[in-house]
Amino acid sequence: MSHSLNEIEAMSKRAGRGAGLSWGLAEEAAKGTRWLSAFGFPGTELLADLLELNDRIPPIDVSPVSLSAEVWHAPARRMSPLIAGASLSDCAVRLLERGTITMENVSLPLLAVPFMGGAALRLGVPVAVEWDGARLATDGKQLCVQASPEALEARQAQRLVFSAPADMSGRREPVLRADVSEESWDRLAAFAHRTFAPATEESRLRGAGAGLSDND
Amino acid sequence: MTKVSCRDPNLVMRLARLGSIHQSRLSFMRILTRRMAREGWRFEQTAFEIDASGVGHAVYTAHGPDRSYSLIAFAHDLPADKRSDRVIAEAWDATFTLFDGIPTSQDISRLSQNIPLQEAGRVSGTELSVSRANRSVRLWEHVVSSLASGKQPSADQIDAVGYLMRTTAVYGSGKLGAADREMIADRPEFHAPFQVEMLSVYLTRWFVTDLVQYMANTRAAEAGNAAAQLDANLARSMGIGNSTGLGMAPFLLNHPVLFNNWVAAREQAIQAVRQVERATDEDIALFKQLLERSKQTIATWHSEHPIQIEKLSALRADVVLVTSYLAQANLGATHPWDALYRWAEDTLSLEGQEWIASLILEPYGALVDDMSSGMAADNTATFRIAGAMSIGDLRALLADVYTWAIETNWTAPENKARAWYVSEEKLEPRLGERFEEPIEEYEQPLAPGRDAAALFNALAHWPDEAQVSDFLLRHPEHRHVLRRAQIVGRAPYAEIRDNTISDRVLPIDMLRCKLAFFGATKFDPRSDRWVRICMYGNAPLPLELTQDNADFWVYPDQEEAKA
Repeated sequence: MSHSLNEIEAMSKRAGRGAGLSWGLAEEAAKGTRWLSAFGFPGTELLADLLELNDRIPPIDVSPVSLSAEVWHAPARRMSPLIAGASLSDCAVRLLERGTITMENVSLPLLAVPFMGGAALRLGVPVAVEWDGARLATDGKQLCVQASPEALEARQAQRLVFSAPADMSGRREPVLRADVSEESWDRLAAFAHRTFAPATEESRLRGAGAGLSDND
Repeated sequence: MTKVSCRDPNLVMRLARLGSIHQSRLSFMRILTRRMAREGWRFEQTAFEIDASGVGHAVYTAHGPDRSYSLIAFAHDLPADKRSDRVIAEAWDATFTLFDGIPTSQDISRLSQNIPLQEAGRVSGTELSVSRANRSVRLWEHVVSSLASGKQPSADQIDAVGYLMRTTAVYGSGKLGAADREMIADRPEFHAPFQVEMLSVYLTRWFVTDLVQYMANTRAAEAGNAAAQLDANLARSMGIGNSTGLGMAPFLLNHPVLFNNWVAAREQAIQAVRQVERATDEDIALFKQLLERSKQTIATWHSEHPIQIEKLSALRADVVLVTSYLAQANLGATHPWDALYRWAEDTLSLEGQEWIASLILEPYGALVDDMSSGMAADNTATFRIAGAMSIGDLRALLADVYTWAIETNWTAPENKARAWYVSEEKLEPRLGERFEEPIEEYEQPLAPGRDAAALFNALAHWPDEAQVSDFLLRHPEHRHVLRRAQIVGRAPYAEIRDNTISDRVLPIDMLRCKLAFFGATKFDPRSDRWVRICMYGNAPLPLELTQDNADFWVYPDQEEAKA
């Protein structure tokens, strides 16, 4: 079904929070899913996969141990593309200084790609990422994709190498509408549902502050 | 030359003041009517297929210079027991969508299956908004029965209510599958915020005027009579009501950059006018004329809520003070508006201060109207965290922006008595009692003061030269509020500098602020978290709109007010 990007962002934020991410990381998940969806990737499916994989586990286990390490790796030997991606965006200046940032054992690597967009906008130069069978580059506004479908759907990338500045070729423009599979939407909705307080008659009256007749 | 600064965010961004803001030249309704008049928009009713019971649809199209937009209205026959202004309602007197262009019969057929369902329906990228409205039962019946019996309705009864229908939600920007704002933001007519929603309501008012006449004609015809034609002045005096609850309150917190841009535009306008060295005789005359007309609005502003009754009584006392000030002040002297504003700040209630702050902008359209071009926001650039910022700089930023929060005792129950959460029902935002209801685990991040103070404390043992990126890796729980703090560092009016979860918080302050930027008047709180207002009261109807009446309609015409 066709969804607006705002709907995708709102659902993704709630789902991320429902899966145990902090609000700030849930916001990153939402912007990233929106970004992927705008470029025609199945962002909601990837996010649902990741949230199911890491459901309610401590974020520190799937976070980089250190941002100064030669190669970023996580204690669980499985790094969250959202947390690593958010850190990459936070380290945009370091990326340009170092030239590359390499990560090990990143789950669902495509989910880390939107964060390059943030870094590219901050730096004002394109940023690229490579993993086995895939190279993507973005200046934050357009995306270049050279990858096999299998690589884009990879469950895990052994090595993920980000670099800046990067070359852009074969640009893809974002679209402002996304097709979302019902199945992935329902999976995200199940996570989102955890963030809603069950309605009670008391909250209906007190919480919303109504109660006066509005039939006048 | 006197240098006047913009007002300090620590003064402006307190809830009590935000909850006292008045509409101004920069309000979104007035931006829209000015544009449509300036560009000579053409309006037409292209369908009105409604049966004798009031069920059917109508289409109203507005033609701008490059594009056309159509309000598709569905009229329903709603039993009284189904009429509720609450978001949890499932049926309405009328439902609407603003369509991008001119709808085909297939579009109307598709939308007739979805728009009447509101949240339970789906729309597409050709729909720009989804909304619904209920009748004011009292006024609707009075107007229909009066006209049907060949008489005009009573002006007093119309004034007492102000509108025939009130909207209970106007959804835009991607809700329910509608077009995202990004799809239309580059169109000049939608550059300023909420222009889609304002256009939708403006056309809704026209439809409602037609529908009430049609229902009166139908009733008269059944009795073998002819109905009276609703007097144009009476028709114009009616706006569209709006009943707004908590759903709107988190908006200002969830869109900090946008909120900053609204407030900053108004503050820059106030600053620019306060810097005017000499007012011309025409400027002074216009100000005085609009002040008198504005007094009519204040005089006829009713509320039964104790908080607003008190504020209105203070405002009416302010009106007397302003009148005597102006009787002796010399507005021909240098910097008259700065002098007036300073006097107001020292003398009047917050309602009175903000009334004057908005009113002094009126003679200066040429100076301030372009400031509306800065009121929209693209969040892309501000969303990213600057991870290279040092902890020392972050600490200083927090100490500057969140002074009040850092000084607040957050262990005292009264300072965090409330919690914002989202209910399962239609995802309605609610405000609950943290210590009395099982809601804390569902709490939304709508208490930036508390969260900023917690961040400040968490930084205590970090060295100044450490970087934000390393702190966030260890503390993802502070990522949300750290982002906010960095935004406020660049956009000083982005943050409500007040406690949004204390036992004294009044959510209506947030609602009032947002609705004042829309251009609403006569705020009538129904509780501490629910307010009714009127939109477009006294505005020219579309077919009457000209450059002469597109701007100052919000101030009642004195002749009319006396009648």
